Amino acid sequence: MKYKAYYRPQSVPETVELLASLEGPVVLFAGGTDILIYAREDDRYADSSIVNIFGLPELQGITLLDDEIRIGAGVTHTEIEQSPIIQKYAKVLADACRTIGSLQIRDHATIAGNICNASPAADSLAALAILDAKIEYLHEGKPCELPLVDLIAKPYKTVLTDRDLVTCIRIRRLPEGTQTVFYKLGRRKALAISRMTIALLAHRAADGTVDDFNITVGATFPKPYTFPEINGILLGKKPDPARIAEIAQAISAKIPEIAGIRKSTTFKQPVCRNMTARLLNELFTEA
Amino acid sequence: MKQTLSFTLNHKPYTIEADPCDRFLDVLRNDLSLRGTKEGCGVGECGACTIVINSNAVTSCLVLAGQADGADIMTVEGLSETEIGSVLQRCFIENGAVQCGFCTPGMLMSAYALLQHNPNPTREEIKEAIAGNLCRCTGYVPIVNSIEAAVKSLQS
Repeated sequence: MKYKAYYRPQSVPETVELLASLEGPVVLFAGGTDILIYAREDDRYADSSIVNIFGLPELQGITLLDDEIRIGAGVTHTEIEQSPIIQKYAKVLADACRTIGSLQIRDHATIAGNICNASPAADSLAALAILDAKIEYLHEGKPCELPLVDLIAKPYKTVLTDRDLVTCIRIRRLPEGTQTVFYKLGRRKALAISRMTIALLAHRAADGTVDDFNITVGATFPKPYTFPEINGILLGKKPDPARIAEIAQAISAKIPEIAGIRKSTTFKQPVCRNMTARLLNELFTEA
Repeated sequence: MKQTLSFTLNHKPYTIEADPCDRFLDVLRNDLSLRGTKEGCGVGECGACTIVINSNAVTSCLVLAGQADGADIMTVEGLSETEIGSVLQRCFIENGAVQCGFCTPGMLMSAYALLQHNPNPTREEIKEAIAGNLCRCTGYVPIVNSIEAAVKSLQS
């Protein structure tokens, strides 16, 4: 890989200081499993300073807060998948991380890297979106925060500068009894780029009414979205086949509305409608 | 722009001068002349270059040399000196798991990482552990059989 200079700071304060002192473009290099692939295509990093932040101690760890979970930016997908905290309080994210790439990539690639690469097909994004993920980062050393849905501007582009250092991701800690589903449609089981993902969470009160519900579709839109108006179809009501069909119809109608009519629309729309209906029917008839 | 990198490789300490932005795969094969680790696709899809870093199986074509600094690394060259590794190698030979042999180092390293974490995997868990390793000879059944045989052998 062609590059201008290489640095390996040992702490976040040292990284902030270093970033302020560097001239020219900077690449914050964590797992690097996307960057090394881009570097094969051309010499796009020839003028860049590579700052290796892999393994920075402040970016590690998954912590349970009062009603949120804090995931360090440098946590790998394998660590998320195996974390007892994530499995208990945000299972949809563990399930999403399990479908990413191969084991060898999940062992090395970081969650903040997956977010900042901002691939529309990134498997973690739909799960993070329904968990109301917020991204904490340092801009010129000052702590800032943005919801995931605002952080990603368009495919492969976030609103961050090359010197903004993501420090952690905060997601909802789901109350006990919340059911979650993560569904991935790919060409094959392992190592597939998603054609579509569906992530959803639902909680029902003692009388059977849905008091918490969030559903979204991934790998379909240019960036992650959530749909409060679609969630509203079920919130405060008892799930029945008519409402489930209404949600499936509404969410599949978003595909041409947001992404425009593409070649894949004729395929994606019915798949989205049918799979949403199937997943919701399974979820609500199971328990 | 070479820098000093220090790491443990196959249980031996190494301090080398290498470009920190080379792929670690190239450092292994070119700087250290350890050519057991193969390059297949170069984009992390085939698993031929799998090595074990800090007990995790990773594709070394997607690891920066600078990331190896301070790490504990195992490649196929070090397998025979470990109990799990030597049993795996014997079982691969006995069960006909090696055809052209190009995927074999990566398969062995994925299997080695699995058995380190999980000494008693199910057949399904074995398949999942090598899902990131492609065999163009398509000899997956003998490979899975070999890992199962290694599990049995290690337990007895």
